[in-house]
Amino acid sequence: MIKQDLNALEEKSIYIIREAKLKFKNIAALWSMGKDSTTMLALTRKAFMGKIPFPVIHIDNGIDFPETYDFREELAKKWNFKVIVGHSEIKPDLVGSACCGKNKPETLKKIMAEYGFDALIVSIRRDEHGIRAKERYMSPRDEKFRWNYKDQPAELWDDYTSKLDTKGHIRVHPLLDWNEIDIWNYVKRENVPVNSLYFSRNGFRYRSLGCTHCTVAVKSNAKNVDGIIKELETTKIEERSGRSMDKENEYVMQRLRQFGYM
Amino acid sequence: MEVKSITLLGHKDHGKSTLIGSLLMQTGAATKVRIKEAEEYSKRMGKAFEPAFILDSFAEERTGEMTIDTTRAEIKYKNLAFALIDVPGHEELIKNMISGASYGEVALLLVSAKKDEGIRDQTKRHLFLSRMFGIEDLVIAVNKMDTRNFDEGSFLAVKKELSGFIGRIGFDTKRVTFVPISAYSGENLVKKSRKMKWYKGEPLIEALYESARRKKKQGNGALRLLVQGTIDDGAGIIGGKIVKGHLSAGEKIAILPQDQHAMVKEIVVKGKKVKKARVGENVAITLDKRMRFEMRGSVISNTDEKPRLTNKIRAKIFVVNKPGKSLCLKFNGIDLQCSGIKILNSINSVTGEKGPAKAESLNAIEAEIELEQKLPVEEFETTKELGRFVLYSGNEFTGIGTIL
Repeated sequence: MIKQDLNALEEKSIYIIREAKLKFKNIAALWSMGKDSTTMLALTRKAFMGKIPFPVIHIDNGIDFPETYDFREELAKKWNFKVIVGHSEIKPDLVGSACCGKNKPETLKKIMAEYGFDALIVSIRRDEHGIRAKERYMSPRDEKFRWNYKDQPAELWDDYTSKLDTKGHIRVHPLLDWNEIDIWNYVKRENVPVNSLYFSRNGFRYRSLGCTHCTVAVKSNAKNVDGIIKELETTKIEERSGRSMDKENEYVMQRLRQFGYM
Repeated sequence: MEVKSITLLGHKDHGKSTLIGSLLMQTGAATKVRIKEAEEYSKRMGKAFEPAFILDSFAEERTGEMTIDTTRAEIKYKNLAFALIDVPGHEELIKNMISGASYGEVALLLVSAKKDEGIRDQTKRHLFLSRMFGIEDLVIAVNKMDTRNFDEGSFLAVKKELSGFIGRIGFDTKRVTFVPISAYSGENLVKKSRKMKWYKGEPLIEALYESARRKKKQGNGALRLLVQGTIDDGAGIIGGKIVKGHLSAGEKIAILPQDQHAMVKEIVVKGKKVKKARVGENVAITLDKRMRFEMRGSVISNTDEKPRLTNKIRAKIFVVNKPGKSLCLKFNGIDLQCSGIKILNSINSVTGEKGPAKAESLNAIEAEIELEQKLPVEEFETTKELGRFVLYSGNEFTGIGTIL
């Protein structure tokens, strides 16, 4: 896994986060309480003099890990930002990708409409998945949240020129260039608080966090950030190997994202 | 680790994605899962293993065997990391190609040496565009040498034919390296090929390394701070990025196009107060007086070395779609209406030659554009960030321009 220059990554992300805030009228960010979106919040504080000047959305289907809820409450208090919780309901007939593709986006749609957000910061990274690597830094979604990946807008230089469809919104991806190991190196350097589930307990840890239904722990003895970094330096296993929905079909991520998955 | 961006160029089917796939495997950057997935998919298609599937991830890209949109993959070599930017080679997808190509620091062009493939219009058009983007260092990989029994003659033929064009569109031929390869069978990529002993140069990855390390041209170092906007209205804090020079607390500065002068009271970089901020840094600054105008799109410079302030610019424009009635110019974060455009001449992107004053898609023009308000601009060669723009007609992407 390639370790990139953290200062360069940091500057670019700060630029994009500021651009999102200053270009659009009413923005929000998605927060899963995972390492990536928490790093995004840390970067936002650097961009805006220690503040997080937009609300943060958690789409909660009620089956996240208890540690995840605790982490949400602690950090929101510590860093003083507004959390909007969207409650989605788990339907027993929808499992795996069908659940991810439907429940969470439907709840998010309601929140986006209720608050009138025109842009949403999402902390995806290219190295997570080949489909995510195809994303732009700023990418339009139509009113049904669809991603028209066959005709993405031109995006040149620092000018993220996406045209806004009046009824849709723009997804902003400030962490697109980061690799998994960069996130952990940054967490270490900046002391970014992280969910305790990432650290090994009884020989297992979570490498990528979703809800309790679809996330499985991977074998690991990494008990702290240093241990994780060491593990990532040599691993040949993919980050999302513990996310069961990715494996149902080779194009599941493409379809999920096409229909609004985050 | 420092990352250098390398844009892949070339006609469709000349092997861009295959090359990146092979490089990912040979340098150990591709994960087992990705390789296995590509293996399985190749098998299902009834094909021999296709390294391009490691990269092309859309269903349509695999079944159609073509790259639709740009993507990025990283490899490590010596003390550098290369971010390889794959772009589509199809003519209709030039908008996506331009998006990927605009991030490159070095260009890697692929030309197929295979019979009936060779140098195509799109090969030259991509070179033309990369030069327009300011790329100075170029590696040309003559691919599919396996189909020519690794014969030196076919390599030299491509080299000879392209050399003239490269010089004509403004590349310094000393900064252009030709390497014969086979992306599919992996010859001469990371290790010197035994099948082409006549080739005395370095393998591809070393040629890329040398190009990436070469110093890039830079204009003078006068301060250029591009303002993104006011990040804290109450405290009057302005956010922006230094693209050239440096800024010190206490310094007198000019704000353009408003042509106001002020003194810098405080500079904050990444949440920390600093005395001096440098090129590449995103700053938050406070001035000794409050500015009552919209700051987004303004440029901050020294008071004695300001950029040119004008509402008339002369530019080279690569036309993707023919311009409609109204033209909108996107420059430094703001949108401006053009009140007039006068085409001076066209430039054929395939021959590099000038022609009659007519805008045609996939070719360039030189034109004078009149804007409804003044802008702080510089020549692209002097300060890239203040010398480039994007053109739209209504909602349609028209093209890109560089200021002459």
